[in-house]
Amino acid sequence: MSEQTNEMQETPEESHPTQGKSTIVSRRDFMTLLIGAGATFVAAATLAEPLTNLVSPALSGGGDGGHGVGESPYHWVMVIDLNKCVGCDYCVYACQATNDTRDDMRWNIREVDETETGNIFHVTRPCLHCSNAPCVEVCPVKATYNRADGLVVMDYDRCIGCRYCQTACPYGAREFNWEDRTDENPVVPDFGRPEVARRARGVVEKCTFCIHRIDAGLANGLMPGVDSAATPACVNICPVTARWFGDINDPNSEVSRIIDEQPTLRLREDLGTEPNVYYIPPEGMVVI
Amino acid sequence: MSAVTASATTPPAGIGPRRSPLLFWAWILMLVAVFGVGVATGIHVLINGLQVTNLTDELPWGLWITVDLSAIALGAGAFTLSAAVYIFGWHRYEAIARAAVLVGLLGYSSAMMALFLDIGRPDRFYHPLLYWNVHSVLWEITICVMLYSTVLVIELLPVVVESTPLKNIGWLNRLSHGIHRLMPFVAVLGMGLSLLHQSSLGATYGILTARPIWYSPSAPVLFILSAIAAGISLTLFVTLLGSMLNNKQLVPPNVLRGVAIFAGFAVLAYLYLKAWSWAATNYYSDVPGRELSLEILTENTPYNYTFWFGEVIFGALIPSIILLWGRLRRNPRNVMIAALMIIIGLVINRWNMTLSGFVVPLDWLPGERSLPATFYTPNLVEILVSAGIVAYSWIGFSLGARFINLYPDQRPLKEGEEVTIL
Repeated sequence: MSEQTNEMQETPEESHPTQGKSTIVSRRDFMTLLIGAGATFVAAATLAEPLTNLVSPALSGGGDGGHGVGESPYHWVMVIDLNKCVGCDYCVYACQATNDTRDDMRWNIREVDETETGNIFHVTRPCLHCSNAPCVEVCPVKATYNRADGLVVMDYDRCIGCRYCQTACPYGAREFNWEDRTDENPVVPDFGRPEVARRARGVVEKCTFCIHRIDAGLANGLMPGVDSAATPACVNICPVTARWFGDINDPNSEVSRIIDEQPTLRLREDLGTEPNVYYIPPEGMVVI
Repeated sequence: MSAVTASATTPPAGIGPRRSPLLFWAWILMLVAVFGVGVATGIHVLINGLQVTNLTDELPWGLWITVDLSAIALGAGAFTLSAAVYIFGWHRYEAIARAAVLVGLLGYSSAMMALFLDIGRPDRFYHPLLYWNVHSVLWEITICVMLYSTVLVIELLPVVVESTPLKNIGWLNRLSHGIHRLMPFVAVLGMGLSLLHQSSLGATYGILTARPIWYSPSAPVLFILSAIAAGISLTLFVTLLGSMLNNKQLVPPNVLRGVAIFAGFAVLAYLYLKAWSWAATNYYSDVPGRELSLEILTENTPYNYTFWFGEVIFGALIPSIILLWGRLRRNPRNVMIAALMIIIGLVINRWNMTLSGFVVPLDWLPGERSLPATFYTPNLVEILVSAGIVAYSWIGFSLGARFINLYPDQRPLKEGEEVTIL
């Protein structure tokens, strides 16, 4: 025992002569540590942006695929009237047929809700196409991004399927393709026909505001929100006209007029996500 | 004489006493079997996709993310002890730093395996390298993890070269000596990368404003503090286990003491911040969403119990007392128990972190109603893959400890002598 104790005492001194003066953190050690950590952080923070611009376009073969760049005269928004909505689910099915989604992966869903005064109402929820979208911020590969016209779009060829966007979306608007699709779409042809290809297994998808109609419509001189061929399927089918679509940059558009003239709400405005879907509140709900 | 003289006279090799090779290989064989089942299950996942798991759109992250977060955190001993040796110049910790680096490399490779299976498109695993979103914490984590794994390989290479026939290859030998001279720089790089991504893993949850149970500025700091505590605890645990199984003092008693005390203080710091994080957000302030979330969690899950008992008392408070109270710490068995408690507490914390935010439903309905809570239990596929990954890391450490010079200051115990901690 005494032999052991002896050995333990001499170990630090004899075995490592260099270590004597560094037993306590010296100022130099501390500075090294601080500078090392600080430099790494500063380097990471300052170099990240320029390096991205330098490396990313070069590696991805010219340009960032237009991900989040460019300009557009339009800014698309949707208005949904919670007072008018009767909960018929037509918009849900029209979306499911047009965008060919599975029953449990619908892009546009309906929930039943209640006001403080006990008034039951229906909330339908597409993707809200937030201007400040959490999904866009967290995506590690910019597979989802804000287009210049306000749409939050998905690049299915880039998505790695990490599902962080699903985790981050405050509205549960994103669906993951857990399996290869072999199912038959139950609402085709009653509510429309598929206009886009099915997505591959392993990527996330969501409502696009029927981007294919918007882009093709504009190319053919049609105005989304005015001409039905250029307007989202859910807006066209609504039997009680509870949905409108259009350009908020145009003060004369239907959506601009509604938003100007009456109180509207957006979901979870407290989060600062700036959604581009406006709701006309149901009776019994006060909106300031 | 001292431990170093002993190591100078014994040829540099692993622990390998060749005392019970049969038992050793039986252990390896068992692990290989578990790993094999994991690989087969993993192939099943790659062929059939993530539909074979219990994950859903409401709860898209589960057991594998817990494995991944835990493995990275448990690998944090590598940067901590490398920093001690090469930045602070506390060279006596080199006696354990090599083991920490191996544990780190195994942890990070385990995490990458879990992530590879967990992403929907494993064939696109390299996309974060091509398409950068510098505003995404997950992108930063991916890049840091890749770079830091490289750092760990660089740190471990000289050890592997010196203790295997690889040292006879001239250029490799020269390379390994060159690396050794650069070690302080490699250690600074490793520490910077680790500080970044270990914290960012907490930020992964901490920045999500829509989930009151996650949204917290303390999450990144809690993650790095718990990772430091648990990372060195795992290194300490496997070192003491190896010492006892092989009747050797693998690491000098004063070094064990230093590491144990450091783990004790790290876990204490974690506990302190955790207590304040809880008090500031649940006791001294009143955020309606958070209160409701906690109610939902308490009603539907054992969260209240696993948090207070599992994470706080079992995983932090008791082990910190054991490690910092000299009388208790001097018994290596107590230290092993304390280290194990910290490790288990960390895994519980990472599980709670991942699950709690998902169980509480999103609150986007404009009216008075709320959506139903979500539940999740991992299925057999997820469990078998996770077991395979754990088996992989044990195989790696067992073989490493046996065949490479992980413990340069080791010495055999004399008849009747026991493993000691000062």
